[in-house]
Amino acid sequence: MTGKLGYSAAIVSIGRCVTKRDDAAILTALQLGAIASSRAIQNAGIKRRQIGAFFTGRCPTSYRTLQYNQTLLNELKIAPVFNTEVTAHGAGALGTIELAVLAVNSGLVDYALCVTNEASGVWLKDKVGQNAAGESNPQFEAPYGPTTPSLYAQVACRYLHEYGATSEMMAKVAVENRHWALTHPHAAMRNRGAITIEDVLNSRMIASPLHLLDCAVNYPGGISTAFIITRAELAHNHSNPTWIAGFGQQTTHEWISERMGAYDLDVIGHEPNLTNTGCATAARQAYEMSGLKPDDIDIVQTSAPFSFVHLMMLEELGFCKKGEGGPFVMDGHIDFDGGLPFNTMGGYLSFGQMAQGLYNLHETIDQIWGQAEGRQVPDAHVGLVHGHGGILASHSVMIVSRERA
Amino acid sequence: MTEPSIKLEDWAQGISMRAGPVSLGLYQPSPETMEYWHGIERRELMLRQCPACQRCFHPKRIVCSDCGSSELTWVRASGRGSVYSFSEIHRPPSATFATGVPYINGLVRLEEGVHLFTRFIPEPGPVRINAPARLDFRVLESHWLLPVFLVG
Ligand SMILES: [Zn+2]
Repeated sequence: MTGKLGYSAAIVSIGRCVTKRDDAAILTALQLGAIASSRAIQNAGIKRRQIGAFFTGRCPTSYRTLQYNQTLLNELKIAPVFNTEVTAHGAGALGTIELAVLAVNSGLVDYALCVTNEASGVWLKDKVGQNAAGESNPQFEAPYGPTTPSLYAQVACRYLHEYGATSEMMAKVAVENRHWALTHPHAAMRNRGAITIEDVLNSRMIASPLHLLDCAVNYPGGISTAFIITRAELAHNHSNPTWIAGFGQQTTHEWISERMGAYDLDVIGHEPNLTNTGCATAARQAYEMSGLKPDDIDIVQTSAPFSFVHLMMLEELGFCKKGEGGPFVMDGHIDFDGGLPFNTMGGYLSFGQMAQGLYNLHETIDQIWGQAEGRQVPDAHVGLVHGHGGILASHSVMIVSRERA
Repeated sequence: MTEPSIKLEDWAQGISMRAGPVSLGLYQPSPETMEYWHGIERRELMLRQCPACQRCFHPKRIVCSDCGSSELTWVRASGRGSVYSFSEIHRPPSATFATGVPYINGLVRLEEGVHLFTRFIPEPGPVRINAPARLDFRVLESHWLLPVFLVG
């Protein structure tokens, strides 16, 4: 069944708009979204009336409107017949593209436009307070004074306990992420120099076991990324279509304490726990749909706001066995020099995290078409992108390929 | 701010919390959880329970995920449990909580099989996974009277 969807649609155009805190003109999330969308439509060589489906990630936190999807389509003067926001936290970003694949294959529409946009780094100064409000249950968690790092730290605490991972193993991910960020023109930490495992361990404790350098840096600006998707028969009319080889998504809970109320589900197992995530299900579906396996993947981006999450995702994406993410990275398998190209923008830890990031997918497509100036990975033809949000609540996985199978 | 006394007719107004200039939103005891908050005022920790299968649930549950019953009742927790996970917070979410750092938040596993987010107090300590935890009630930095767990 899923085999029919593999390679059935392609990304035929991308539009991007980036603003940095230091720029003369700081753009809002809506400006970023409108400009990136317009660029994507122009790059595709299609007319705005050909956009049949329009999917956006959740409303930007920095630009609240009741119906943000309509706010943006109103700017673009498009009239889609199928439009909605996809709100599975950060996983909803790739979720827009998954929905687009289904929409264009239905035959109801020819072209789908998918957009994410956020500029919270510019507009919301107190990210720690604001994030804690958004990521903890207002009744049962927030009155205890949690921060986002401390909520993820619950999972880290269990992961270290159950699998024997160490702070050094977590730190190794931050070190390798930083190497890549030094090569990316838009990375938040581009000019901050390389770091060592000792630097991470000596950085101040935020929420045990997470040190400052185990945590994502909030992107100092704003980013919008827009994609045009169409089905195979139409994709052949466009130059350099990027094939969507496979995808998957799973959501298991809302708040972290609620996660421990989830049980008897295939992905979790019989007993509640914090360390089996929906990423494994999403990855399995993506691999099945594409007919590919982890060995076939040339480049990987993971959506991981804390270092230990990368270790867990490497396992759940099938690059190593469950519990062996730590030894895997310590053995050099994600090394900037010679390892699996992993978070080639620098990841959330050093590129910076901008909510609802489709920029990871953009980076992957740049790499597989040889357009990643200054950081180009040789011979990367197949890429895997992971998206996630909530406290490991929602996960998406997408595999894209330069060649059609 | 004072310790809130929860009334059903007040619930939709919520209680505003701020972190500097940023609103943390409204903490809103709501009709389906009111008995939990009334229990706290009596120094009792209340959980949900399915009368058909006896399984206990988080106080927020509305239906039984085993049999589908929507007739869940309230049951008083024994107050005995153990530490499932924890984190010592050094960077607080707001000035409100800065007075308490470092403090330890985590998930407690109650002997009824329910997990709750809570504050662990190392009395006598230390806080570590599987350490026994027993219920107490404290007014925390949020000025709310809340269930907490003493560990060690
Ligand atoms: Zn039942």
